[in-house]
Amino acid sequence: MRYCFVLLFQWFVLSLNAQDTVKVTLPAETEQQAEQNYNMGIEALQKHDYQLAVNLFSSCLLIKPAFDKAYANRAIAFTQLKKYSEALKDINAAIYYNADNPEYFYNKSLIFWGTHEKDSQTVALDQCLKMNREHAEAHYYKGLSYFETNVYDKAIEHYDLAIKYRPGYCYAYNDRGSAKRNIQNYEGAIQDYMKAIDLDSSQTFIYNNLGSVYRMTGEYNKAISAYSKAINKNSDFLLALINRGATHLENNNLEAAKEDFELVLKKDPRNFSALNNLASVEIKNRDYKKAKDYASRSIEINARNGAAYYNRGIARQMLREEQGSCEDWERALELGVLVVKSFIQSTCNE
Amino acid sequence: MNKRSSLRITNGITVGVWLFIFSHFGWCQNTEFTKENFPGRKDELKEAQRKLQVGEEFFNNGKQELVEFRRSYFNLRKTYPVSFYDYQKAGYQQFRAALSPLNDANRFNPKNARLNYMLGLIWFMTEPISKEGLDFLQKAYELNPRIEDDLSFWLGWACHLNSKWDEAIKHYEEYHTFLKQRVKSNAAPIEDVKKKIYECENGKRFSAKPERVFVDNLGPQINTQYPEYGPSISTDESTIIFTARRPNSTGGKRDPTDNGFYEDVYASQKEKGKWQNSKQLSKNVNTDNHDAAAGLSPDGNKLYVYRHVERDGGDLYESVLFGMDWEPPVHMNKNINTKFHESSVSLTFDGKRMYFVSDKDGGIGDRDIYYSEIDVNGEWGLSKNIGAEINTKYAEEAVFVHPDGVTMYFSSKGHNSMGGYDIFKTKLVNGKWQTPENLGYPINGPDDDVFFVVSGSGNRAYFASAKAGGYGEKDIYKITFLGAEKTPILNTQDQLISVVANPVSSFKAEANVEVKSAKLTLLKGVVSDAETGKPLESNIDLINNEKDQVLATFKSNSSTGKYLVTLPSGSNYGISVRKEGYMFHSENFNIPDTLSFQEFVLEVKLKKIEVGNSVVLKNIFFDFDQAKIRPESINELNRLVKLLNENPKVKVEISSHTDDVGSVEYNQKLSENRCKAVIDYLISKGIIANRLIAKGYGETKPIGKNDTEEARQNNRRTEFKILEK
Repeated sequence: MRYCFVLLFQWFVLSLNAQDTVKVTLPAETEQQAEQNYNMGIEALQKHDYQLAVNLFSSCLLIKPAFDKAYANRAIAFTQLKKYSEALKDINAAIYYNADNPEYFYNKSLIFWGTHEKDSQTVALDQCLKMNREHAEAHYYKGLSYFETNVYDKAIEHYDLAIKYRPGYCYAYNDRGSAKRNIQNYEGAIQDYMKAIDLDSSQTFIYNNLGSVYRMTGEYNKAISAYSKAINKNSDFLLALINRGATHLENNNLEAAKEDFELVLKKDPRNFSALNNLASVEIKNRDYKKAKDYASRSIEINARNGAAYYNRGIARQMLREEQGSCEDWERALELGVLVVKSFIQSTCNE
Repeated sequence: MNKRSSLRITNGITVGVWLFIFSHFGWCQNTEFTKENFPGRKDELKEAQRKLQVGEEFFNNGKQELVEFRRSYFNLRKTYPVSFYDYQKAGYQQFRAALSPLNDANRFNPKNARLNYMLGLIWFMTEPISKEGLDFLQKAYELNPRIEDDLSFWLGWACHLNSKWDEAIKHYEEYHTFLKQRVKSNAAPIEDVKKKIYECENGKRFSAKPERVFVDNLGPQINTQYPEYGPSISTDESTIIFTARRPNSTGGKRDPTDNGFYEDVYASQKEKGKWQNSKQLSKNVNTDNHDAAAGLSPDGNKLYVYRHVERDGGDLYESVLFGMDWEPPVHMNKNINTKFHESSVSLTFDGKRMYFVSDKDGGIGDRDIYYSEIDVNGEWGLSKNIGAEINTKYAEEAVFVHPDGVTMYFSSKGHNSMGGYDIFKTKLVNGKWQTPENLGYPINGPDDDVFFVVSGSGNRAYFASAKAGGYGEKDIYKITFLGAEKTPILNTQDQLISVVANPVSSFKAEANVEVKSAKLTLLKGVVSDAETGKPLESNIDLINNEKDQVLATFKSNSSTGKYLVTLPSGSNYGISVRKEGYMFHSENFNIPDTLSFQEFVLEVKLKKIEVGNSVVLKNIFFDFDQAKIRPESINELNRLVKLLNENPKVKVEISSHTDDVGSVEYNQKLSENRCKAVIDYLISKGIIANRLIAKGYGETKPIGKNDTEEARQNNRRTEFKILEK
């Protein structure tokens, strides 16, 4: 979760394009006071003290009510505080006072990103790109928008433009890699992830993504190496640990898989994914009693984990608990594990 | 190290080697019954020699019988016995008599190769899978592998029956080499041993990749310490019929050939998922001789019984379930029964084709599978051999045609068997049976695997086996097919896009396992009087609507009203339930080819031909949005014609109803036109117009809400109602 916030912050800092500090040239004392507050507001914004930033921009606007940049920056602070309606009012005010700044439209699009209003986000991005067709970040978000609706070819087109206009755009490379992965262009995906790592090797999640492509192509050793790099950089990166364990399991290295999942549990005893995956290990070990126990613990923590019901069903079937096994598979089916349908049909109709 | 100490060490090693050789060969060396080998034990030796002589005489007699049996078997079938059971306990009495004295002699001198050979062969011929048979033969081989020419053959077979595939192959190869070098006119024995090598190679291959099944004993309600075998199962798995040789056998007599009780047929019903205590069928079926279950029709209403009456070679009989009891079995006609041995029957789902087994002249091999079809007189017609794709030069037995109409299971000693009979599966594709597929290990093994029946769903099977851990002798077991190994599902997490840090949980699902479910719909239920609830015996017509053809007619049971109909996928079926004095009840089932096993329970309540009673005609179809009757409705309309002809005083109202799609006026008009079309058809078939009243109700009398397609379909209907009788 901490990682999420760091990433979110980086995104805002890099992409919101906050307005530069204004050179104070006005003689009037009040105006100086306003601009002082404005500059202090930017400082607070950079220090992640968003409420203070809001207060300072508000003080500024009391004196200079038509100051578009103050509205724009207060919108950023409101967005970080998840006060989206206030943020939207402010960005609209900024646009009202200065309709020629493409960045305001870009910022507006990001507010809609926060409110999940995809259509409005698209409109804002298009307005931004109309004013500045070389806006790399706007292209990036257009790409992201297509990615989220599984239109990967369009997403790749915009990621290409984002990279064209900002050649060192690490995230665009990563996301283009992901889009390529999803259209099974694994070679292209690997190249993009590697380029993204070249650009910023501190981004552990890119190693995780690279590992996922190798895993998909059955190159288990390379996948394990990529996940290991992520884990070496951040030993608390549980996602990578879980994925490395899964890769070990798929590679039939049950001991190594078990070790990874147990390590996750040590760091997070309520990690239902690790518990379920340990159930998978025990199914492969044919220790169905242990498998059932692990899957049950996973279900206790997350009663909506279809995979755990599915796995417990397998264990119970082999333990000759036919009724329980069928009940688990029925539940797994309700939770979207479609593969179980055929088992229910073939086993549970006596 | 000096020379002397070096010499001491060398001497030490030499002594050690000699000690090893002495002890080793001392253990493995053949020891004859001579006074040199047993100094100071003169009297004991004498007694042992006497016992050996007595036992050997019995043994030699037994072996002579065995050799003669092999010869006559070969002369008759042109192959040597494939299965141990083929020997039919040849030499059994002599071998049993030899056992005790030879055991005594062996206690005195356990290191005599020939004695071990004799004991091994006796055990093998009396209890082939016993540990003793294998141990004695192995010991004889260790003591002197050339003590008897055929030692490696019997040792190979003992290893074979104990699933020691590699050892079996080794000994069979030795015997093969021996045959090639020393025996003249040896083509048949060479073929025999080569087949056994092939069986072991199959066994090795199949057991390396076992099928995933649960094998469960059916429990004490079915199995006892006595032999139970030959199960037949109703399509819905509610009834099992099998053969048993228990002390309560009808007449209580024993068969002098093997001292076992005569066979009787037993049955058990499954209630709430549990088999009830099995009961002997009545004396209608069971006599004081052998009566064995040979097959059951898919609807469970016809039982086939095997009986052996002098000089008939063993014949098939048919018994029909009437109420709660089976009628006396009737000898099947000459197209089925011959002077040869007929056994094992299986009927197709419509009851129009019968598969059975016979060893009559003119076959491809030993026993073959034949089929016969019902002729125009309702009799079984001339039988035909099913062909060389299925029948081999070896024996085929226990045929079972699945109610899906396209899958056949049978046992064979040929094809790629692992030894004795193995169970095979084949599919009918474009009218041709495909190459049979061995069902694999552990369903099949080196011993005889025979009498295998599969449930309607195809997920379970029943068979008999003498495997260890049962209640005694042969027991009936249930196999549950588990399909391919289920791959566990992992929770893995990607973090694909940069800005969304929330982990995305994704399933990584494996491909579907092959499900052994059949493409079959099972329709069952009870036919009863709508007013009194009393069970009714009725005729159930199964109609292929697309071909306008009555496929088969079944009967519901007169006591229970129960019926069971199997409908293979890929057709639109009409079902009509009829009984004199009652209005018929019709149903329609559209079963696409893609649909796998499903079971419907349909309780049919027949209404008497009484004023005010009405029935929905579910097999009358119109072109979309039109009043033109589709050709597949003819069967249903003709039933109505028949009913009106049989009840000349009856006047009926024919009504037509629509759903609420479209305007009220339009629907009203459509319904009026549709019932008029029905009336016109009835008049064209000679029904007087004044007995018929047409009524179009449009959308005004729905059966239920028009909120789903299914509900709307129910509302679109044609009915007839009795107005006068």
